[in-house]
This record gives sequence, C-alpha cells and structure tokens, in this order.
Amino acid sequence: MKLLRMAWRNLWRNGRRTLVTVGAMTLALWAMVLYTSLMQGMLGSMESTLLDVELGEIQIHADGYRERPSIWERIEDPEALLAALDETGLRSSARLLGGALVASGEASTGALLKGLRPERDARVSDVHERLDRGEWLDPADASGVVLGYRLARTLGVDVGDELVALSQATDGSMANDLFEVRGVLQSLSEDTDRGTVFLVEDAFRSFFALEDGAHQVIVRSGEGQELLAATGVVEEAAAASVSGVEVRTWRDLLPGIANVLDSAQAAVQVVAFIVYVVIAIMILNAMLMAVFERIREFGVLKAIGVSPRRVLALILTEGALQAALAIAVGLLASLPTLWFVVSRGIDVGQLGGTAIMGVSMDRIWTGAVSPVTIAGPVFILLFIVGLAVLFPAVKAARISPVEAIHHQ
Amino acid sequence: MGEGPVISLRDVSKVYRQGSVDIHALRDLSMDVEAGEFTVICGPSGSGKTTMLNLIGALDAATSGSIVLEGRELGGLNKKELSELRRDRIGFVFQAYNLMPVLTAYENAEMVLWVQGVDGPTRRERVMGLLEQVGLKGLEDRRPSELSGGQQQRVAIARAIASNPAVVLADEPTANVDSETAETLLGLMEELNREQGVTFLFSTHDPQVMERARRVVRLVDGNVASDERR
Repeated sequence: MKLLRMAWRNLWRNGRRTLVTVGAMTLALWAMVLYTSLMQGMLGSMESTLLDVELGEIQIHADGYRERPSIWERIEDPEALLAALDETGLRSSARLLGGALVASGEASTGALLKGLRPERDARVSDVHERLDRGEWLDPADASGVVLGYRLARTLGVDVGDELVALSQATDGSMANDLFEVRGVLQSLSEDTDRGTVFLVEDAFRSFFALEDGAHQVIVRSGEGQELLAATGVVEEAAAASVSGVEVRTWRDLLPGIANVLDSAQAAVQVVAFIVYVVIAIMILNAMLMAVFERIREFGVLKAIGVSPRRVLALILTEGALQAALAIAVGLLASLPTLWFVVSRGIDVGQLGGTAIMGVSMDRIWTGAVSPVTIAGPVFILLFIVGLAVLFPAVKAARISPVEAIHHQ
Repeated sequence: MGEGPVISLRDVSKVYRQGSVDIHALRDLSMDVEAGEFTVICGPSGSGKTTMLNLIGALDAATSGSIVLEGRELGGLNKKELSELRRDRIGFVFQAYNLMPVLTAYENAEMVLWVQGVDGPTRRERVMGLLEQVGLKGLEDRRPSELSGGQQQRVAIARAIASNPAVVLADEPTANVDSETAETLLGLMEELNREQGVTFLFSTHDPQVMERARRVVRLVDGNVASDERR
C-alpha cells in the first residue's frame, strides 16, 4: 500500500510529463481499439459475404466438376443427397450452373446462370437479402432473373428490362430464351457482380433442357460446429446417398482468401505492436528521465535497507499506474467511437464495391466488437509498457547506494 | 550484543582506481568504536572520513582488512545480508537530509520500520513517539518541502534511530544548517546518546560538533593521526 502511494505521488512530481505519457498511451490504445474493431468488421463482412452469400461452408460437386466445369458433369440424384443431409440437421440446397451469352440491345457478355429453388436456397444463402433494387426470384415468375450489378451496367439493363440468353442445351439444341430483370444485386464479389444471373430452377431446366441432376449442393455447418466435424458428417451423408461426388470446404475452394482471413488477425496485432513500439520509446524515455532525476533517492532507499526487489516494484508500479490510467481513459474514450463505427459505420463512398481478393467491401464500413477488440490492444499495451519500464526499473534496482547518494 | 566493540576495523584499506591511477583513501586503518560512544571523525578533505563511514555503513566494500559490526564480519556477507544489516543495525543521517520528497515527515520516519515489516499500530506508536522526541509533534503530515533544513534533519534523525540501530552514522549532519540549528540538532543527538545509549559516529569539519564529542579521531591521509577521548 505504501509502495502504491509512493508510486502514485512520484507520478505527479512531474505532472506534465506523466500527462503526456499517459496521453500518448491513451491515444494509442484508443486508435488500436478502433483499428481492431474496423478490421474485425471488414474481415467479418468479407467472411459473411463469402459464407453466408456466396459459398456456404461446404460444397458438394460431381467428381471432376471443379477441375472442368460442365453442364453435363452433375450430381445424379441431388434429392437423395438433400434428404440425407436433411436427416443430419444440416441446412443444404442444390444449385444448377451453366454458362450462357446474355444480351440486351447491342450489349452482350458471357455469364454464369445459377438455377435454384428460392425457398430452399434461402436456408443456405442470404443472397436474396442483398438486393440493391427490385425483387428476388419468385417460383411463380419463371422468366424473372436477378443480376449482378456490374453485369446489369454492362448490359445497360435495369429492373423491368428484357434480357436474352443464348447457350447450348444438354440435348444439343440451341438454348435461347427471353427473361425479365426482376432485381439487381448489391456488390458481392467480382464473379457475382460481373457475370452471374440467378433464375429459378424450373426456368434453368427448361432453358438447358436438363431434366435431372444438380451441379452444386451448398451446405451450412451448424451453429458453433467445427468445420472439420461438419465436413465429416456431410461426407458420411454423401457416401450413404449418392456416388461419384466430392465434398470440399470453403477453405479448399478458396485457399487464398482463407489464408488472408487467418493471417489478417495476426496482421492487426503486428500493426498494433508497431504503433505501441513508438509509444514504448516514449515511455522508456520518460521513465529513464524519472529514474535519472531520482538516482540519489534510490541510493538512500537502498542505504536504509530497501531491497532491490522493492525498488524494482516501485518503478514497475509507476509504469503500471500510468498504464492503468491510460486503459481507463482509453476505453472510456473508445466507447462512443465503437458505438459509432458499429451502429453507423463509415461511408467509404467510392471505395464501396472495391474487391479485396475478389470479395467486395460494403459501402458502409462497420466495425465489430468482441472480447478481442478490447483485450488485444489492452494486453499488447500492458506488455509494451512492462517492457519499456523494465530497463529503468532494473537500472534503479541495481544502483550502487554509495555512488547514488553522492550523485550530483 | 556481545562484550566487544560495536565496530572494529583492522588494517582496513580502500583503493579507488581513477583511470590508471590508484587512489588510497584508507591505508591499513585500525580502530574500535564501543557501544554508547559519541565519536567524531575529523580531518582535512580527502583524509578518508566519508570513505570510512561508507565502509562501516556497508555501503561500500574494503579493498583489504576486516570490518566487524556487532561481531559480524562485513566482508563475509552477501548483498542481501548487507542490505538487511543496514536496515536493522545501522542508521544514516546525511548532510543533505535525503528524505523522500513525496512522503510526509511521518512516512519518512516510518520508512525503515515499514521495510522491516513492523505492523502498522506498532509503527505508529514508535514513530509518533520519535517525532515528539525530536520536536516535530504536529508536523507529521508535512512534506520535506514544507519543513526547514533543521526540521528535515530532525526527521532524518528520527528515521535513523527508528529501528534502534547499533550505530548511527552521520556524515556532516550540520553542514547544511545555520549554527543555531546545528546547536539544537547536536543537543538532540547528544540527548539521544545520553538517555537512550544510541551510538553516534560523525564525520565532520564543524568545530561545534567536535566540541561536543567525547571522542575525536583525526584522520590524515587515510589513517588515524590522533585519537582523543574526553
């Protein structure tokens, strides 16, 4: 208690220096909490777009489809597979995929047509909630399609406009049909934005003269369920219901992005560390000055029998008190900022829609809050302060009393 | 403690190396200090007074020779044991008072007892008694900056004797105060010596201090030139 009291009073012997040091720590902590929150928000949004909208956690394809996508390479009996997956309690839905030339007026481009059952697909994908304008697919409207926003721009179409699709049907005939744009999606990913057309399953089958089968089954893992465990369950269900299929996790499908997401958290910590190192140099300087100014006092303390351990503890306590002040003020200052970035977000304007590794950023960049948002920056700050204070503290503890007492 | 002297120095030498030159601060110095003495070490600048106090106070180590405090050979103790010896058996009064500026008079005087691990109520009783004894009753809550030089030195004396040490080493204790205050401080230390048997060992140039001493040891060139008992 006495040590704490001494440390506290020592801090205010040079109040301005203490305030500047604590202020720098506070600012660094505030900035790192904000940065961590924004990065977590961006990564969370990327992951959500990837898993909730585009991929799902697990996908099943016919053997060889991923290497050479083809309208003919399909899962023979998707209904049996879906029924088996339903029994496991995992959410799943099948999709049909086929390439086509889409055109409107003078404009035309290649696109991937994705056929689905809207009701079942909503179990595995939130794509129906990501409309920029118009409406999502309706089984009652077989000619209605929904496009990626860049595709709509390329073709010069909007909600209510007509769209022609041309391709080769599975029976060898020329597939062509007239569709009407029901909706245009927000920016989701490079692939979806530039070249995806969603349509209902029946329209797809009719267009491609495809009576059965599916090209892709998307599966979502259960809440809190490990990906590996879910994959095992899916593999068992697939093996029991169909043959000639391969089960892949989203990490297998997009290993590059999976690595980026994994390493991004570490990158956040590295940036925090670099920012704190600058602060550490400042703390080191301030504490060295504080120790240098009090060399004679430390000599007297040691002369009257205060142990080096206690002298060390005194300096460390001074550092800890400054860190505690910075943490208290920094976290208090972080609360309104976090509230703002989480509930309102930052309008990144033209940056909205910019793709990172093929996954689009939202126009409104929101932050996220988790225990790591606070604990990460706080623990790194404590570590850095400890490191910065240790050297002056050891110096004070090892001081020779006779030299210190006669120090001028 | 035992029958022998409180402090015994035998053939003590201290050599400082400054660049390539050896400076002999003490040369084969031998001397005993008995319990209850009020002794002054005097001599010209550079005669070895402060070095001698530093060695007896276990703040520095002799180059050769033996220093025994209450029967314990200082050369055989490790750093921790020396630190505990200073805490428990030696009191220090410095020329520049050397109080902790962030602590009050009470807290400064209490410091050694706190380091010893004495419980709060015992500390309070002892320190309040000491502060009253040194004439600082009512000034317990003042910080050093709010006290005069003489008052600060009184706090330093209270701190030095708080743990009932075997000896109080006072290095030029009156050098920073006026003669009237010096007289009062000396009176106080004399009283503590006479009434409580506290052993004092001073280093000084001050004739006032030498007049009051019952033993005056004069050092010249690091050795005892004269040893006068009164």
